Amino acid sequence: MSSADDDLAFAGAARQAALVREKRLSPVELVRAYLERIERFDGQLRAFITVCGKSALEEAARAETAAHEGNWLGPLHGIPFAVKDQLDTAGVLTTSGSALLRANIPSGDSTVVARLKAAGAILLGKLNLTEFALGGTIRFPYGQPRNPWNPEHDPGGSSSGAGIAAAAALCSATLGEDTGGSVRSPASYCGAVGLRPTWGRVSRHGCFPAAWSMDQVGPLTRTVEDAALLLGIIAGWDSKDSLASREPVPDYRAALVGNARGLRIGVIIELVDGADTHTEVRSAVIQASRGLAALGAAVEDVSLPLIPHAGAVFMALCDSEAAGYHKRWLAERPEEYDAGTRRRLVTAGLISGFSIHQAARGRALIREQALDALRRFDLLLAPTSPHPAPPIATHTAPVTSKEEAAKRFFARRSYTTPASLAGVPAISVPCGFTAAGLPIGLQLIARPMGEPTVLRAAHAWEQEAALSRKRPPVG
Amino acid sequence: MADLAPEHVRHLAASLSLPLTDDDVAEVTHRLNAFLDALAALDMLPLQSVEPWPTRPEAGA
Repeated sequence: MSSADDDLAFAGAARQAALVREKRLSPVELVRAYLERIERFDGQLRAFITVCGKSALEEAARAETAAHEGNWLGPLHGIPFAVKDQLDTAGVLTTSGSALLRANIPSGDSTVVARLKAAGAILLGKLNLTEFALGGTIRFPYGQPRNPWNPEHDPGGSSSGAGIAAAAALCSATLGEDTGGSVRSPASYCGAVGLRPTWGRVSRHGCFPAAWSMDQVGPLTRTVEDAALLLGIIAGWDSKDSLASREPVPDYRAALVGNARGLRIGVIIELVDGADTHTEVRSAVIQASRGLAALGAAVEDVSLPLIPHAGAVFMALCDSEAAGYHKRWLAERPEEYDAGTRRRLVTAGLISGFSIHQAARGRALIREQALDALRRFDLLLAPTSPHPAPPIATHTAPVTSKEEAAKRFFARRSYTTPASLAGVPAISVPCGFTAAGLPIGLQLIARPMGEPTVLRAAHAWEQEAALSRKRPPVG
Repeated sequence: MADLAPEHVRHLAASLSLPLTDDDVAEVTHRLNAFLDALAALDMLPLQSVEPWPTRPEAGA
């Protein structure tokens, strides 16, 4: 493969789609370029569970013929995409990252996959994830996903493969699913862009549930423009999801005006200055907030004192929903679960109804505090994660105390779960690198249906920082 | 609140027909005790008048 092919692979979906439309790029050559990159790098990175090479090349040939005939299929004509293996794909293995579903072949597409295909995109494959999108997997049944910036480090989860594939340019664009940070965390660890839309903005039909009350499908891409492009295609009402919003879908790319002028941004001090926040993360996020101020935003501190409770409240609600969903399999096939997943679900099954109800009330209180801040600010700003990607070994070590359990399972989640508990949109965009070369993610959070605002600010920062031009050592 | 011991957790799991192996019991005990501490801390918040909506009605449907 030539360096020109690598440049093309890293160009991203919006640029590639423009080239296809101008007939300067062949969909067949583009699919071949990604299949070659997957062959070169994915033996180590393990982003993919299934690669649909043959069908993708056939679709690409059809897209090429259609292009020659002037038959425009849609805004992603001939563009290869991949999705988290939590999303149903007709006739293609869909495992949810679990051995329990090793033979599950859905008969239909999830709504989001159907919408991308209807826009002309080509399914390149299915992406690795932590088991059932729950996080904490010790042994991945389909291979250990690895961070392209340092393969000894975690790529984040649960949309691990989507983060890797976006950052290492193993396909044009990807979709993940974010319940408590599962799109934003891999975006942060892998140096990609990850958007959690407003709850209800995107249909959940055909998405294996992690926690119905917070699950939301979102794009994981190399650029903010690609995230805006994909969101515009997958968002919108769906008769197959009773909780999908009927709000009209705006032109998200039109929001990318290149500045932050007039935006009021609140920096969440509990997360920026929190005891768990790594020094280099704090420094990079403060630098980004200054950058946004230089781009025209009014930036000041804001306190959300309930945020330290968010991780535990989220896990009580998410895990109890998941434990209820998995009750039968847990009873009948417990040995087929990864030990980390099984321990998480069994623990949730032991929490009392009283505690779950308190957590549900805690969610409402945390949400109101966040929404109150969002009445005063257009955006809230925080680190996506308190630390850069940790070594993979830290996930597989046994938990030896309740204090360690709280730190390992609740503390990190308090950074991403406030947006999940509030049902509001949030994005992670790269904002720097540690001295060891690991990416750092900046999180921006907006009001319900505030995706244009969050995309606008993230795009302005992205253009200023130019970090998406950096390429990982593996990929 | 006193921590639950592994034998308490074994008994609870058995009574709820939840699978708990010897390999899992220590971690499940630590996780459950962490939950009990974290959720007990919510008792100090003004929760009595809070309605536990999973989302704001106008933000979802």
